[in-house]
Amino acid sequence: MHSPMEQFEIKKLLHLNLFGIDASFTNSATWMIIAVILATAVFVWGMRQRALVPGRLQSVAEVGYEFIAGMVRDNVGDGGKKYFPFILTLFIFILFCNVLGMVPYSFTPTSHIVVTFAMAAFVFVGVTIIGFARHGLHFLSLFVPKGVPFVLLLLLVPIEIISYFIRPFSLSIRLFANMLAGHTMLKVFGGFVVMMGILGGWAPLAFIVVFTGLELLIAFLQAYVFAILTCLYLNDAVHLHH
Amino acid sequence: MMRKSVFGALAIGLAAFAVGTAAAAQGGMPQLDYHLFAPQLVWLAIAFVTLYLVMSRLAVPAISDTLERRQAKIQGDLDAAEKANEDTRALVAAYEKRLADSREDARRLMRERGEGDSNAAAKRLQELSERLTRQIDEAEQRIARQRDDVMAGLEQMARDIGQDVYSKLSGQEADQNALTGKIAAAIKGAAR
Repeated sequence: MHSPMEQFEIKKLLHLNLFGIDASFTNSATWMIIAVILATAVFVWGMRQRALVPGRLQSVAEVGYEFIAGMVRDNVGDGGKKYFPFILTLFIFILFCNVLGMVPYSFTPTSHIVVTFAMAAFVFVGVTIIGFARHGLHFLSLFVPKGVPFVLLLLLVPIEIISYFIRPFSLSIRLFANMLAGHTMLKVFGGFVVMMGILGGWAPLAFIVVFTGLELLIAFLQAYVFAILTCLYLNDAVHLHH
Repeated sequence: MMRKSVFGALAIGLAAFAVGTAAAAQGGMPQLDYHLFAPQLVWLAIAFVTLYLVMSRLAVPAISDTLERRQAKIQGDLDAAEKANEDTRALVAAYEKRLADSREDARRLMRERGEGDSNAAAKRLQELSERLTRQIDEAEQRIARQRDDVMAGLEQMARDIGQDVYSKLSGQEADQNALTGKIAAAIKGAAR
């Protein structure tokens, strides 16, 4: 029987080399591109009529838009407006990658730490640059909680700094680990079904059915968490208070 | 809440690594194969930038434009409805005012008409009663006059008859003065 980790293997479908960098087209890239195409289908093809009374697909696009627009408005305020397309892209990309990963025989790009860490690091670097660009060195006051005695500051400032630099790791590991653990669990229990045969296999099969529902929820939830944490970090950089 | 989520993520991460190390015995975690980082990163960049361009250039303007138009339409309709409502209210108010005015007019007219009627009726009644009184008076006078005429004629007739009777019975002319006095006395006695 296959290992539960086999589903995460990257397979090169087309060997490519870009300026000395390995840019081979892989199964991961395939599903990223499929996610982009489907997202484009929903948000561009679905919006082609721009109807005042929306159809089904247009409603989906508008709900996604308003969901993230409300999130940015509530968590960042007006200062977050110009970052809205980025947050929307981030959410939709992660959501489509996660959900498409639930399709049998597909691949989940977000189950790879390098992908989630790249996104988290981009958010981290971007937020830090925005913070310094907006507030200059005053941005460092983010690490100094207000109304705290000086002695406590000696303790709190290092903690604040560590928790700030831990952000890209927590952000990326949360998404990656959820995808990895969920898919591994499904595979392991799928193995149980085969192992226990026609007589005992029903119990793990029922578990898989329920767990698939939970996984769909997690696929959405993790995209949501990634987006809302990005909003909170952005709010720190834009408004300098937590 | 933030700190808790950090620890939560680390815990899930540790659990995932536990799963990973369990799997490592069978062939290792594909996630840790750094030879495959570059192709994933390249295609992540391509896919993400493409989606970002699609979203920011096409989808977001299309959706925000649609939402704004819808909002404008809804607001316009609401305003129109509000205006129509106010117009209606003004019309109703004008109608009720006219109704009240008309009712007032009608009441005033009826009152004036009523007063005029009773005045005229009283005047007519007065005239009627005066005319009747006058006619009665005239009639009484006429009757009195006729009675006097009749009485005068009666006296004359009685005198003529008395004279004829006297001359036929006595064969001589009756004393005019004595006869007249006797007849007047007789008539008076009869009238009594």
